[in-house]
Amino acid sequence: MSVLETVLIFVGAPAAVIAVVAGLVYGGSRRGRRYRPGRPFEFMPVWFLSSQAQASGAGHSAGDDRRAVTGTAERAALPARTPAGEDGPEPAVAAAPHGATGGASDRW
Amino acid sequence: MTAGELDRPATGQVSHGSVTGHPEVLDGPFTTRQLLRLDEALRLADRSTSLTFSVYVGELDEPVRAHAEKLHAQLADPDRSVLLAVSPNQRLMEIVTGAEARKRLPDRDAKLAALSMAAAFGGGDLAGGILTGIAQLANHAGRR
Repeated sequence: MSVLETVLIFVGAPAAVIAVVAGLVYGGSRRGRRYRPGRPFEFMPVWFLSSQAQASGAGHSAGDDRRAVTGTAERAALPARTPAGEDGPEPAVAAAPHGATGGASDRW
Repeated sequence: MTAGELDRPATGQVSHGSVTGHPEVLDGPFTTRQLLRLDEALRLADRSTSLTFSVYVGELDEPVRAHAEKLHAQLADPDRSVLLAVSPNQRLMEIVTGAEARKRLPDRDAKLAALSMAAAFGGGDLAGGILTGIAQLANHAGRR
């Protein structure tokens, strides 16, 4: 066995295996964006309702839903970390009853 | 389902059109598959209970409870709405039920759902926890 063959078998082959495993580990996961409690998790805040047709089918008037959902629709950019606030639709919203809400809180 | 702006919830079916039309939803914490499942869960919950379920995932300002209630008040019909507000980075969550919804969902049931959601979140499963919470709340609210 020549020196070249020896090097190929004992260095090249393990290196190839290591490269394949490393490629699977680092290349396989998409962006590595997984939530792990306690570590910072960067994402855009999201707020979901079910679809509009369904919401109106569920006993509300479609007009109400549409108003609430599109009332501020023109403000397209997501203002980071500011609760909707100080400007547009807040006065109308403030009329909603506050004291009557219930629910629960939890931490993990 | 489309991405919600912070000052308003988003509605809409999950379809490939809307997802590609609003790619910012993919900057959110969920994958496309999770978004589809969330949308389905919300639709089923809304249909079976005739309440309006809404999910907010993002930072909550202090005081947290007040911020969650403020978001809840922005829904179309707050009295008949249930908001699940989850802040993964602060590791806390709030469930807000409106006056009408609260009659069907006592705080005890909301707390029970919050416990199982927090258990899933503690394991790093955001979407799973939310799905569990919606299913449990809808179950407790009963059919109407």
